[in-house]
Amino acid sequence: MTMSDEPEHHPHAHGHDAPETQDAGSQALAEALRSSFAIVKVVMVLLVLAFFSSGFFTVGPSEKAVILRFGRLMGQGQEALLGSGWHWSFPYPIDEVVKIPITEIQQVKSTTGWYFTTPEQELSGEELTAGPSLNPAVDGYALSADTNIVHVQVTLYYRIEDPLRAIFSFTSDTNFGYSLAGVSNAVQNVLDNALLYSAAHFYVDDILTRDKAGFQDAVRSHVDDLIEAENLGVTIDNCEVISVPPRQLQSVFAQVTTARENRNKALLDAHKYESQVLSEAGARAAAITNQAEIARNRYVTVLSADAKKFSDLLPQYQSNPDLFVQVQLAQTMAQTLTNVEKWVEPTSDNGKSTEVRLMLNREWPEQKTTAQSP
Amino acid sequence: MKRNLLTIIVGAVLVVIFALLLFVFQVRQSEVVVLTTFGKPGANPIAEPGAYFKWPWPIQQVNRFDKRIQNFEDKFSQSLTADQQNLLTCVYVGWRISDAGAFLRSFRGSVPAAQNQLEGMLRSAKNAVVSKHPLSDFVNADPRQLKFDAIQIEIEQTMQSQLSTNAYGMKLEFLGFKKIGLPENVTQTVFDRMKAERQVLISAAENDGKAQAQIIESAADRQAASTVANAEAEAIRIQAQGQAEAARTTLPIFQQNPELANFLLRLDALKQALNQKSTLIFDERTPPFDLFQHLPTNSPSQ
Repeated sequence: MTMSDEPEHHPHAHGHDAPETQDAGSQALAEALRSSFAIVKVVMVLLVLAFFSSGFFTVGPSEKAVILRFGRLMGQGQEALLGSGWHWSFPYPIDEVVKIPITEIQQVKSTTGWYFTTPEQELSGEELTAGPSLNPAVDGYALSADTNIVHVQVTLYYRIEDPLRAIFSFTSDTNFGYSLAGVSNAVQNVLDNALLYSAAHFYVDDILTRDKAGFQDAVRSHVDDLIEAENLGVTIDNCEVISVPPRQLQSVFAQVTTARENRNKALLDAHKYESQVLSEAGARAAAITNQAEIARNRYVTVLSADAKKFSDLLPQYQSNPDLFVQVQLAQTMAQTLTNVEKWVEPTSDNGKSTEVRLMLNREWPEQKTTAQSP
Repeated sequence: MKRNLLTIIVGAVLVVIFALLLFVFQVRQSEVVVLTTFGKPGANPIAEPGAYFKWPWPIQQVNRFDKRIQNFEDKFSQSLTADQQNLLTCVYVGWRISDAGAFLRSFRGSVPAAQNQLEGMLRSAKNAVVSKHPLSDFVNADPRQLKFDAIQIEIEQTMQSQLSTNAYGMKLEFLGFKKIGLPENVTQTVFDRMKAERQVLISAAENDGKAQAQIIESAADRQAASTVANAEAEAIRIQAQGQAEAARTTLPIFQQNPELANFLLRLDALKQALNQKSTLIFDERTPPFDLFQHLPTNSPSQ
């Protein structure tokens, strides 16, 4: 368009210099052409300005940008990355600006391992009643080490650590464009693979209940390994694993949990019984030995008191043994016979002892029946 | 004149721009270009980014390829394992164009055509490798017996060697399983087996709980009994010790006059015995009741 405008200029200029032999009509035409040419010139200047000012661009706070000059990356390594703010580049086709969103955390969910749900069901939380089997075309699952079917879903949060690698090493589509779709697709694949790999190592009970944390760690560390091996240039921020038994077997899995809880409760009860019995036995043992100590002390004390008494009485006894015995006996009789039921049996005429028959109450201690005084 | 010069400069610039558009092309950072002259590929593909010269169409043509890694995954397909189990597998690969010239020759530069080829190759590679392994190589709790990685590597190597023998100009960067599954009817038998396994676990847990509890409780009883028995033995020892001690200290004293000692001890015993409620039956002649006998009365007993 510009090319065609220029030659038009010359005949027009000549027309202006020519003697004023033209009529009013052609003069008006020349006037119109002149003014429209002025407009075209203004437009051209504006276009040129726009061309150069189009080189300005902004980079947002969560973005990086790189400039490709004739397709070649400007700058080496990290220097190639432009931070947030205003920047200028030559307009296309000399320079091409590629913006990369990097600082936000990317999220990817495993696509294998979970049974079929529609997005509406996921939102409402209600679940389709499960058929008797799983259709491999739509229902995902993982196989555990003991060849059990288990549903596992992993959500991975990661950051783009190497934006240059992300956009220059992974294709995002077939149109030569630059985006993070390629690398996130690769991360997705790695995640699915790590899920299957980890499940293949773990027993179903470990995945579901016994070692959930261990399983999650295994998934995470395998994702890490694969990211390293495939050089994806991302770092894991977080990794969350959900695992459930197949819906078809939910009740029987729940029964196992209940049975295990009951077992634990039985063990707990047994331990409670154990500690109770043992502490009781300990208390009883302490009581027995303490009692023995008391008895010993009493015995020793009493006996030494007896010895003391003996020593005190010995001189008196020695002075007149018979009298001493009589006096002591009489005193004792007087003391003891006051609170005793007495029964004096008369002697028979022929001097023989009489026979006495007694009905004894069981309550009574046996040795108290016929104690003859000495 | 000045005006004309400006016009000429502007015109020249425009001509130069037009010529550049016709004669120059860019190779971007992520691209590789094969120039074809009248449809014949040039000697070397251009992989280094920058601006390059070419003759305008129809003399030379730019064939542009993406040299970055492309993600591809094949269809979920069934293979037979070494132990005659049907296993469904799906793998993902990261592949890229390693030789743009060869790639152009093989697929006329069409990525979908190349992926079609990959699909077929993957299928046969998977079948070949899976048939060499039993199912226990795919899932196993014993890390030494699990060959998950080894199987992936085998498939990758099979693919790699086929790609290079056929000179497709493609290279695999990585390969791994994306999905593993069993045929639909097999899932049902797996469910049945799992159910049976669960039932075993349920009864095992119940019985184990009872047995363990019994063991703990009986052990506790035994320990308690032995604690008490030990205490009783200790008590006997303590008492014996006391007796021995008392005997040691008091016996020499009592030995000064055994008769008196004996009398006093018996007297104490009598006092203690009559402490509780008791009935004594005496003969009339026993003192002090013998006093009754000498009463000058006409007692009925006489």
